[in-house]
Amino acid sequence: MSPEAPPVGRVVATEVKPTTPHQFHFWTPTETSIGIGAIVRVEEPGNGKGETGKVVYGVVTDAFAYSDLATPLHDVVGAEGDPARAAAAPTVRQEIRLWTAAVLRQEPEEPLQPVPLGRVFLAGDADVAQALRMDAYLHAATPTAIPIGLYSAGGLESPVYLDAEFLLGPEAAHLNISGVSGLATKTSAVEFLLAAIFQHFPRQKGKVAAVCFNVKGPDLCFLDQPGELRDEDRRRYARLGVEPAPFERVRYFAPFKADGVNLNTLRTHPDLASSVEPLVWGLPEVLDFAEVLLNRDDIDAKADAFIDFLADRVLGRSFEDGFGREHRVQTFADLDLLFRSIFDGLEHTAGGRGGSDMWRTHHIATIRKVRNRLSNISTRCKGLVADDGPSSDLPWGDFADRTVYVVDVANVDPLGQDLVFARVVSKLREHLERRDLGVDAVVVFVDELNKYAPGDGPDTYVKKMLLDISERGRYLGLVLFAAEQFRSQVHRRVVGNAGTQVFGRMDSDELATPGYQVLSPATKIKLATLPIGELMVRHPHFTQPIFVRFPRPAVLRGRDGVERYPPALDLPFEDAVVRQLRRLDARVRPNAVKDLIADREPDDVRRALAAVRRTRPTDVLAYFRKALGTRVPLGVVPRERASVPPLDAIPEDPY
Amino acid sequence: MTGWLAALRAAGVVPASYVPDSSVGRADRADVAPAALVEGVAVGAHPIDPHGAGPPATCFVDGIQRWRVIGVQGVVPIVRAYVAAAARRRGADRRLVTVADESREFVITRREGLTPPARQALEESGLDIVDLPAEDVGQPSRTLTAAHLRVDRAREAVERSLAEGCAAGLAGNEWLVVDGLLSDSESLAAHPRALGVIKSHGTQFFEGADLERALTLPDRHRSSVFAPRSHAHRAVYSWYLRLWPWEGNDLLYGLVRVEARAAPETVARASAVSGWLYAERAPLATPDTRWDRLLYPIHDVETYLNARTPRDLLPPPASRLPRAAS
Repeated sequence: MSPEAPPVGRVVATEVKPTTPHQFHFWTPTETSIGIGAIVRVEEPGNGKGETGKVVYGVVTDAFAYSDLATPLHDVVGAEGDPARAAAAPTVRQEIRLWTAAVLRQEPEEPLQPVPLGRVFLAGDADVAQALRMDAYLHAATPTAIPIGLYSAGGLESPVYLDAEFLLGPEAAHLNISGVSGLATKTSAVEFLLAAIFQHFPRQKGKVAAVCFNVKGPDLCFLDQPGELRDEDRRRYARLGVEPAPFERVRYFAPFKADGVNLNTLRTHPDLASSVEPLVWGLPEVLDFAEVLLNRDDIDAKADAFIDFLADRVLGRSFEDGFGREHRVQTFADLDLLFRSIFDGLEHTAGGRGGSDMWRTHHIATIRKVRNRLSNISTRCKGLVADDGPSSDLPWGDFADRTVYVVDVANVDPLGQDLVFARVVSKLREHLERRDLGVDAVVVFVDELNKYAPGDGPDTYVKKMLLDISERGRYLGLVLFAAEQFRSQVHRRVVGNAGTQVFGRMDSDELATPGYQVLSPATKIKLATLPIGELMVRHPHFTQPIFVRFPRPAVLRGRDGVERYPPALDLPFEDAVVRQLRRLDARVRPNAVKDLIADREPDDVRRALAAVRRTRPTDVLAYFRKALGTRVPLGVVPRERASVPPLDAIPEDPY
Repeated sequence: MTGWLAALRAAGVVPASYVPDSSVGRADRADVAPAALVEGVAVGAHPIDPHGAGPPATCFVDGIQRWRVIGVQGVVPIVRAYVAAAARRRGADRRLVTVADESREFVITRREGLTPPARQALEESGLDIVDLPAEDVGQPSRTLTAAHLRVDRAREAVERSLAEGCAAGLAGNEWLVVDGLLSDSESLAAHPRALGVIKSHGTQFFEGADLERALTLPDRHRSSVFAPRSHAHRAVYSWYLRLWPWEGNDLLYGLVRVEARAAPETVARASAVSGWLYAERAPLATPDTRWDRLLYPIHDVETYLNARTPRDLLPPPASRLPRAAS
């Protein structure tokens, strides 16, 4: 703003409403562009000796209007009880617009004194940068500013930046965004912010990637497709210095459906389906995170001990079960063989005298219980968890700079969602600790945080993991961007550790909770009526919350994406297999594949397909044929069931 | 300001603080004056024109005066006085905007009664000094009455000057409403679109039944137009107007007297003008205690002037002594 711009108000102070070092009041004409959230600059007059006075920046937090009416009754008397006559009075009463502002910054900062009774100006770009202490990272030798949106008031617009050091670490980290559902503000804000991070995160500070969990609908399924932008959005992009383009590098991962060949995602349109990679895990991956799956019920220390035993002593090793059989457990099917061997062995050892209860210090009830839980997983999460070995996973160790990895678990059983979330985040942490992930920082975006880290309820593995990330992730470069509808229902340490907090339109009941007591009633009202595309931001550099507007993300919104790219119907088994193989090698002829798998057991086909995916051979069809093996006429050799059916509950099983 | 006060004190003037009641308002002066009826043969009550609309733009003029004794040397008081007037214009947006204001600050004393150092300090202050004659200096009541008179005169002069300037600049359809007498000024008294609205009724114009009818006007009525003839002022026409029912209060409750140019058209439009002024009851001019007779725009001008008055001349709103915690 030019220094010649006229003042918009003047600071006033009375005994009842004095100015303080943290708050002041000013009046403006009744016709003014000032509003809640406006940033203003107060200038103290110079002392006449060439010294300029103090400059104070503040943000408007409350507003008052009143007239010289002594009591409402006088208005009634003057209008003789007729409101229409009151409006027709020949003179409009004197009235005032009185504003309360919270101090953002004082210059000089010392000595800290009450705000002077000076003139009030609307803040321009430079003022906003000063007021929000953005100058330190916006104009530094190595700028670390990430645009978050445009502050606007009185026809002026100024970009607002976050400090990457406080958004992605190491000084502070994490971002939490709250807002009512259905306005697409939370997801849109994160999409825009990720784009801004990818474009503005300093190269010299390292590589950054994002892992986004798509937990509902098609929200994040079209991040690589351009969305519709209005001219206003393009103008905002230009003002913020962000290229309005979809993400250049996006990799999609989704588990299979129960058929094991069709992907469980809404991104199945033929034009896009080839870019979705399967997410399939085997027994080792599951067993590492068994606690995630088992802690929902009353798993006790004995079960824990048995699971640890399986993981340490059995999994991936040659193991003798004590009844003369050698096992090498690598899959759920192998594990089930071991369980059956144990149960058979215990009965055989007892010699028909009712059976033994103990196997290697583990009670048979404990073994049955663990067996039931694990087999339940492979049933409920069929498609994510393969009976027969690992197949496809995120590219651990090979994460690429400025790339988004979308893990679509929207249609996965909640148990499976927990498993995916826990394992992916844990693997990210492991690799970041070893500095071998491929990038230096990863933003993990999780929606519905109140589901994963609720403020009450049991301490689940996922909750403990989220707490760990929020408290220690910034040292590793593991950054949590989390969204939820009700911030008050999220664990306070998870929310409290978020250096940057963003608020969209809020529910009035939510605003009445204690967490919002620091906000003025006017700010709450503004929050309750925020339009789409406007946010309130708290950031370590900002001493007060700031309202900003951000442009619509340049990516295709989920709902629009589903309309433009309607999900394909599930393919028949044969066609789905063909598609899987042709994704790996476009030379594969569909008819050749169909001939190969004709009359073959689907589990055999799935197993062969998994082997191809795992190996990624040069000649896909040849390898598939080899993995499929020789056709064995049905009826010659009885097939062993490869799936893991749950055991029938026994009467004495307390679980 | 503090400089010359300090100099006066250094010259032996004893600090004082006396704020007269009359500083914040003007007392009615009891007087009897003849009047000639212009409308009818006896004072009558005429209903106002309920459709009497005000002009599209109106200027309202009022003035204030503030004075206080700030020091005494011997028995000679040193009075600091401030008078001001302002004109605020109301246009189509119904909001009042200041179009002119004028003020004067001066000191009233008797310089010959001061010691040479005090006199020198006063003369070097740069303020206007109004000298009291020797016969007015003595017992404080006499001295202060004389000072009050001079403050009144100064305020009237400022008001008149401002109103005349404002009247001269009125557009063709604009009117001027002055708080007080119109007949003080030759140009105002002759102006076709100037009105004086008088809230004080110290002067009695009628007797007997005419007086009774004038002072017992019912609500929404005006009196017959008459021509005050007593004082040495310019010829004007005048009438009483009842803004609020007086029953249950006193005779002067809600009663104003309007002055306008002495011309036949004044009589013709007295009811319409009264209807306009009657509509000015709203908004109420509270919390001013004279709200029943005070038009809100005039109250607004006073508020404006009070806001610009030097703070040290305003009476303290309340005791500054510490209050008990309970």
